Amino acid sequence: MQSAGDDLISLQAQDAGDAQLLAAALRHDNRFIDVVAGVETVVVRYDIATLSRAQAESRVLELIEHRADPSTVRQRTLEVPINYGGEDGPDLKDVCEHLGITEAEFIALHTGRYTVEMLGFIPGFAYIGGLDARLAVGRLPEPRQSLPAGSVGIAGKRTGLYALRGPGGWPVIGRTRLQLFDADDENPFLLSPGDCVVFVEASDT
Amino acid sequence: MRHLGVPSSGAADPLSLALANRLVGNASLQPALETTLTGATLRFSLSACVAVTGAVARCELNGRRVEQHVALHVETGDQLSVGSAELGVRSYIAVSGGFEADDILGSRSTYLTAGFGGFHGRALRDGDRLTIGALATECHEIETPSKYRVPMMANWSLRATLSVESDTVAEIAQLFDARFTIGRRSDRMGIRLEGATFRTTASAEMHSVPVFPGTLQCPQDGSPYLLCVDSGTTGGYPRIAKIARMDMHLLGQLRPGNRLSLIKRDVQQAAKELRQKQDYFRPWIGDIDDVI
Repeated sequence: MQSAGDDLISLQAQDAGDAQLLAAALRHDNRFIDVVAGVETVVVRYDIATLSRAQAESRVLELIEHRADPSTVRQRTLEVPINYGGEDGPDLKDVCEHLGITEAEFIALHTGRYTVEMLGFIPGFAYIGGLDARLAVGRLPEPRQSLPAGSVGIAGKRTGLYALRGPGGWPVIGRTRLQLFDADDENPFLLSPGDCVVFVEASDT
Repeated sequence: MRHLGVPSSGAADPLSLALANRLVGNASLQPALETTLTGATLRFSLSACVAVTGAVARCELNGRRVEQHVALHVETGDQLSVGSAELGVRSYIAVSGGFEADDILGSRSTYLTAGFGGFHGRALRDGDRLTIGALATECHEIETPSKYRVPMMANWSLRATLSVESDTVAEIAQLFDARFTIGRRSDRMGIRLEGATFRTTASAEMHSVPVFPGTLQCPQDGSPYLLCVDSGTTGGYPRIAKIARMDMHLLGQLRPGNRLSLIKRDVQQAAKELRQKQDYFRPWIGDIDDVI
């Protein structure tokens, strides 16, 4: 446990899956105002007006002791059809040139099963791990001011999915027509950390 | 909602918002208008009670000078103008009953980046018509007692604590000696601090870590970047300090060109001083615990 500020405690997790389990356990105490998982850390913001640091830390230890066993967590699987390239994926051509592969080869390598590591950066933006090392590319030199909802970007070992319109520096290789955000839903974002997603090529491309 | 990537959003200076709402008889965090530097003019098509707080700005009702921090009774056809900010950045205009706003993800704030919440998810424009939640029955002629008015300044001191990657900066003690200048590229997402740079030994390719409003990041160029209410929920830069919760409301008033010093606090002091500050304001703002 480390201090991240007057009202913030940071915890190290073993990996993204562990971070989600820790976060889920810590959400059982409503004096923890925010519990946010990063890729390998969890940060808890608590109410310092009512809880001392020592109390908060012992509560953290107590709760994470009882975190779920990963083998008992049922993973949800969602299919995400992607329209690759063209107007939906304005950077696919450049990415393929840079990688020295064809668009068909890119699609063959990109489609498949992945796990949502976390939501962050901007609302509902899903960090999806496990991208094939042969598809690793860097960020764009100039971030885009605004990308449409459903945009699919890649950077390093990850695919990123935009639930909403937003800015971004990841090369965009496609777009899904799946509605990833519904303001009227109790759970407004379709994807949750820990979900399994299966990228498939959309049938209308 | 931060765990879903949704920023805190809301008023950049929630204490000034609460003070405005207090004057018109609203709960502290009822929706009100936030102006940034330029001010605004409103014409009323009903009678209401209004109040203006926050940045120092010239206010006029039908062309006659009126004071900030005073509950004003307005009639149909009246025109209230809030001038450009002279000190501070953001003025708050509250109206009895509160402005109606889109309720989304448990908030009525506007989140400009994704275009939702508040008034159709966008900044207000000339000619927009706003609706008031409930009509005022009466307008008590009250004003904010002077001891509760937050002074606007050109030189600010904010209390701060260390953060996770503070120890990757060899000269971290100088963070609390530096006199920073608020950079031009400052908005509701974040504020760039200029005038002193810091080198960190943390890896340039840090994994995305959770960040919060008040987190002071140290990007590659060494100029600290202070995250504000609309900041993203995760970031990849080292976190070298955090503004203490009790002084967070002042982030909304830091103006490009203003000077800023950070005063070091440890976690226990910061908690104690927060409780003292809440106790100080509680006689005037009953729900102060929700505000600061």
